[in-house]
Amino acid sequence: MISPVKSGAKNTNDRASGESGAPPLEVHDLTVAYHKKPVLWGVDLVVPPGKLIGIVGPNGAGKSTLIKAAMGLLPINSGWVKIFGKEKNYRRVGYVPQRESVDWDFPVSVMDVVLMGRYGHLGLIKRPGKRDREIARDCLDKVKMLPYANRQISNLSGGQQQRVYLARALAQESDLYFMDEPFAGVDAATESAIIELLHELKSRGKTILVVHHDLPTARNYFDMLLLLNMRVVAFGPTDEVFTYELLQKTYGGRLTILSEVAEAVRQRGDGG
Amino acid sequence: MNLIPPFNFHDVVIAPWTTQIGSFGWIALMGFFVAAACGLIGNYLILRRMALVGDAISHSVLPGLAIAFLLANSRSSTVMFLGALGAGIVTTLIIEVIHRKSRVKQDAAIGITFSSLFAIGVIIISVFASKVDLDQDCVLYGEIGNVPLEVPFVTVGPLTLGPESVVRMGLVTAGVALLIGFFYKELLISSFDPALAMSVGINPTIIHYTLMAVLSMVVVSAFESVGAILVIAMLVLPGATASLLSHRMGLIFAITILHAALSSVLGVHLGLWLNCSLAGAMVVMGAALFALAWLFSPMHGLIRWWMRRGALEEPETASVTSSTPI
Amino acid sequence: MEDKVSLRRTTRYLDEAPSRRSSSASICVHLWISLFLLLSSVGTSHAARIGDLGETKILEQAIRFFTFQDPSVRYALVGSMLLGISCGLLGSFIVVRKMALVGDALSHAVLPGVAIGFLWNMSKDPVAIFIGATIAGLLGTVVVHAIKQTTHLKEDTALGLVLAVFFAIGICLLTMIQRLPTGNKSGIDKFLFGQAAAIGANDLKLMALVTVLSVVVVYVFYKEFLVTSFDSGFARAVNVPVQLFHYALMLLVAFAVVIALQAVGVVLVSAMLITPAAAAYLLTDRMHRMLWLASLFGLIAGAAGAFFSFLGPNLPTGPFMVLGATSVFTLAFVLGPKHGVLTRWLRQRSRSSRTKRENTLKSIYHVLEARDFKGDGVSLRELAERRRETVEEANLQAAQLAKHDLATLHEEGNVIFLTPIGFQLAAAIVRNHRIWELYLTNQAQIASDHVHEDAEKIEHVLGEEVVRELERKLGYATTDPHGRAIPNLDEIRRAAASGSHDTLVGYGKRP
Repeated sequence: MISPVKSGAKNTNDRASGESGAPPLEVHDLTVAYHKKPVLWGVDLVVPPGKLIGIVGPNGAGKSTLIKAAMGLLPINSGWVKIFGKEKNYRRVGYVPQRESVDWDFPVSVMDVVLMGRYGHLGLIKRPGKRDREIARDCLDKVKMLPYANRQISNLSGGQQQRVYLARALAQESDLYFMDEPFAGVDAATESAIIELLHELKSRGKTILVVHHDLPTARNYFDMLLLLNMRVVAFGPTDEVFTYELLQKTYGGRLTILSEVAEAVRQRGDGG
Repeated sequence: MNLIPPFNFHDVVIAPWTTQIGSFGWIALMGFFVAAACGLIGNYLILRRMALVGDAISHSVLPGLAIAFLLANSRSSTVMFLGALGAGIVTTLIIEVIHRKSRVKQDAAIGITFSSLFAIGVIIISVFASKVDLDQDCVLYGEIGNVPLEVPFVTVGPLTLGPESVVRMGLVTAGVALLIGFFYKELLISSFDPALAMSVGINPTIIHYTLMAVLSMVVVSAFESVGAILVIAMLVLPGATASLLSHRMGLIFAITILHAALSSVLGVHLGLWLNCSLAGAMVVMGAALFALAWLFSPMHGLIRWWMRRGALEEPETASVTSSTPI
Repeated sequence: MEDKVSLRRTTRYLDEAPSRRSSSASICVHLWISLFLLLSSVGTSHAARIGDLGETKILEQAIRFFTFQDPSVRYALVGSMLLGISCGLLGSFIVVRKMALVGDALSHAVLPGVAIGFLWNMSKDPVAIFIGATIAGLLGTVVVHAIKQTTHLKEDTALGLVLAVFFAIGICLLTMIQRLPTGNKSGIDKFLFGQAAAIGANDLKLMALVTVLSVVVVYVFYKEFLVTSFDSGFARAVNVPVQLFHYALMLLVAFAVVIALQAVGVVLVSAMLITPAAAAYLLTDRMHRMLWLASLFGLIAGAAGAFFSFLGPNLPTGPFMVLGATSVFTLAFVLGPKHGVLTRWLRQRSRSSRTKRENTLKSIYHVLEARDFKGDGVSLRELAERRRETVEEANLQAAQLAKHDLATLHEEGNVIFLTPIGFQLAAAIVRNHRIWELYLTNQAQIASDHVHEDAEKIEHVLGEEVVRELERKLGYATTDPHGRAIPNLDEIRRAAASGSHDTLVGYGKRP
């Protein structure tokens, strides 16, 4: 677990876990059902700060549901979720939702979308000012989308849209990030650009949770993995958790695509 | 206050079945046919999530009717059906053009189309009031009370069947029932899984357009009795009520017909008592039946929902391994 | 000086000549404006043909309208414009949230409230009717929500149910009221299709109040409405209370619907919510501009409706307002400068003719290259052979090139000489094609025999930036995968700028 002791020196890890030293995300006995069918059952989780964590599991396993429930977008049947020690603390999360959730014909520009990330800092009524625009431009530049700042969002490719979402989350300047399938349907160049960015965030002590759909890359991208199939199958450092047995348990009989991965895992295991 | 007339038990409840059966019998029968025809086809609208296309078609038949009357200068059924069919097709086409050729989404496209067409219809009947025999208010809620006054009744040989519109509506209802009976499988499969339908040789597009055509004809037949807006209730209420009470299609259709019968008979009584629009009263009673189903349904009812809140069954999945220590 | 001009012109060609593109857009704008003027001027005389009304009467009425002699005219006009503004403004959010049918259900559900409001004082008291209608409308949305939450019935079914049932209750009450001794003169039946002339001073005050309230609230909370409409899931992450703003919007819409009832009527109010906003949606890419345009269009539709209904006795206002709004929508749909159907068709045509020209240039370049850029012109026959078409077709293409100053024709039109600009453009296209092929074979590791088709499509649309990037990535290579030279555009440009034509290979002669 994380040390709750407040040391005199303010290292980034300490700051990233919040003033009280509470973990970025704590989930207790979470159960979420959809039309009386359980999607998440009794999920317990404590996420340490400063880690890049992948959430993997078969389709319908509740990966997105976990994120959405943590963001209060889905009703919780039982249990609770605490973000930096407080419930309903959504404003502390840099959130990258699924791309399909939005109507891309909406009459807004790329810059408008990224500025939305600043709204949390502005409060009600107040409009984005010069500094907010600077920050937005900065974030757009980080994802290499600055030249598109004035384009309406439908004129973008899938990878570009994903990068805009990322820029918006960056503009929130949070310590905890939730990303829901950020790599779905993006080109290889965008994918590596995003991973680079995530590592940079992590090096600054941020905590990032990513719902990921591709098992082979999960092994390389993340420090820790959460294997989820309605219940938590395993959660821990990637090396320890990415074993054939645990993956079997997570995916049930559906591990057909993973022969090379399993092979690689076994080989690595033999090698030590 | 004088709004609600005193409830005279004899006049409201007994008389319609005895002395007044001549007129109210036909009215109730008409109401039943309208509700049954609409309700039967409405079930497919509910299944296909096209309840609001039904709304659109019911509004847009008005200009079709108005223009048909204007051009043909007669009130024959064929003219009416043709006008309605034309209007139905034009509506569907315009909606498609708007939402496929521009970024306007389907919901707005439907709204724009039917309201404009309806507006055109209203203007035509206001301006050419002398030539078109439709009253503005009648268009909205019909005048089912006129039914018994359609003399002489239709006769077939020695048999006197009844008022023309009732006979017509009866035929339409029978036609809808037969259609559903013959094409039960096709309709079902194309409603649930169009892709599967294609793979077994049933073309969902043809089914869709046929459904729209039948819907237009049902709507136009019902138009003069219940008007453009209340027909929507007739389309949706019986099926919605039935689906709260059963999950089997056969039973759903049976309940639909039962609902149609009850709501029209009870509606006549209510309308008699309150001295209001009979069609409106029929819908109100239909809604009351819906409310009862909503409350007391064994599967979906509010009472059940209240009692069952929160109770979930534990899922069966792979057993849990303890979390690896962080 | 001339060379600088030609250089600039070439650069513009390389980056897609905007002047050609915008000409179709400006045609549309002009068409649009003139149609609009035409319609508005024809409106009066056309109105004379409807119905059994005499010409003089129409003119009289029109004059009465425009000189605002009647206070009822003033009220009708101002009221209609106000309701147009508030419907357009709030309708914009309805359109982008795809809630058009919720708006429809809400506007039908208010009818029983109108009836009860009337019954409260047995008169057409604006405040009572306002309160009654608002409560009924909001009750309707609550019932829809409840049905969706507690049963398996879907949203469209729930909306249809509430719409029709509430309306039915309203009709029952209405017909009951009409049978009362005082009922007949109530004017309550005007609420079905609307009658702007019925707007009184008190109604106007209420309308003004609601319109001002809507404008102020939308202005102050613009960014909150924006983010909750665009991405309500994300809105939580920035501390914006999604449900609160949803209910606030519903409340404002209910208010707008209720004040519009008298003029537009219950049945057609939803059209005033959706249609002006949809027209605005087609004309702009920014939400704040959409709000302005929608309000403007609503205002126009309102005024038009009030005017037209005034022309004849007992004409309902609602349908005319709706048709006014629909006309604006149709204009936007067909002629909109960015998204209009006509505009897009014209743009598509010009794009394909540009592609054809560029392909012809490319072929001419290939012919010249094949003979090591010796000789000056390319004959029509050579071009036809190269492109595997008939000489007539080659002739047509050559004429097109000449029309766009990309080539000149000599010897009775049988020989083509490229102009400086034409040559630079040809070289650029060929360069794009070959660089792209090189990129695909090297970087993307696609077999060299597979790359040609992709390059055929891409060569026309590669922007200058991308080509520079490719060049850099490929280390400024000079040959493509098939061993042919990649034209160096800088050399060509520099030579053209300096005027030293003989150092340039394959340069066409000036006449």
